[in-house]
Amino acid sequence: MSEQLEKTYLWDPVVRVLHWALVIAFFTAFGLGKFGPDQMTLHFYAGYAVAVIVVLRVIWGFVGFTTARFANFVKGPGKVMAYARTLPSSKPSRSYGHNPVGAIFVVGVLIVLAMQVTSGLLADPEDYVNVGPLAQYVSSDVTRKALSYHEPLSFLLLLMVIGHIGAIFWYKKRKGENLVTPMVTGYAQLPPRETPAE
Amino acid sequence: MRKLILSTVIAATAATTAATGAFAQSPSDVAKARRAFFTLVGFEMSTLGGIAQGKIDYDAELASQSAGDLLSLASLHTADYFAPGTSNEDLPGETRAKADIWDDMEGVQEKSMAFYQAVVELNDVAGTGLDALRPAVGKVGGTCKACHDDYRAADF
Repeated sequence: MSEQLEKTYLWDPVVRVLHWALVIAFFTAFGLGKFGPDQMTLHFYAGYAVAVIVVLRVIWGFVGFTTARFANFVKGPGKVMAYARTLPSSKPSRSYGHNPVGAIFVVGVLIVLAMQVTSGLLADPEDYVNVGPLAQYVSSDVTRKALSYHEPLSFLLLLMVIGHIGAIFWYKKRKGENLVTPMVTGYAQLPPRETPAE
Repeated sequence: MRKLILSTVIAATAATTAATGAFAQSPSDVAKARRAFFTLVGFEMSTLGGIAQGKIDYDAELASQSAGDLLSLASLHTADYFAPGTSNEDLPGETRAKADIWDDMEGVQEKSMAFYQAVVELNDVAGTGLDALRPAVGKVGGTCKACHDDYRAADF
């Protein structure tokens, strides 16, 4: 292995803080929703935190640092398939930022989180204490629909989180790449980048 | 004269229908009565929840009346509203009551007792001020949720 690697600035502080804030807010909301008290005030606060994080991340996806921008990491089906074929290999990916397959997860999880936040804001469980703040503005058909989506979506999000962590393990064990440290420190060991990203 | 006969016939028919209805409640009737019961519970809770959340100004008389009515409702014999054969599997679109209710009557009774006790507590404090009312309403709402989580489908 004579691969030339150098310390590369990969994730800006906004991306990192939002990522770990989301980890905390999501698990707090999930845990309180499933196992928390019947008066769900804290679940609501955790949900609002998730909403703020998602909104900020989407904005940052347009105005943020290079690796944070959707335009720089969302790729077409051709590149996605090409990258997907390299996944089983033990060859390190050395991706500068989100890879084309990871990009699908990033966009997907943001969409599902937005749906989850929306369904929570609109849900009315008819207990007169845990009513979504926007439920009063829509019909009872909508509040029931929202309620019926809120729990299945939480399960889908949990599956996505498990898939995300599974991918990190795969990169570590199979490809020998540590994806966690860069999300903490901001720096990764990557090949020199003479030309800026296309 | 003909008019009188006609109206007598209609009255008699109506009386017969009402009488038959009273003696042989169809599953749909049971589900309707159950939902009507919970509509009334929700009506009182909506007022109390509104007061607790500051959307309605606290008024001791209004709060006491709503809590008293809620206690009256919670004191009804509700077993007949939960006659077997009236779950959302038996009556799709008519009720959200899950079949789990009839598989776990003990759990349902436990939760409805928690509701009743929370309503008793609420009724004790409803007229004594907003600070006392708010946690008591929250507690009742929590018992609503506890039951909804396990025994009521989110949608029809």
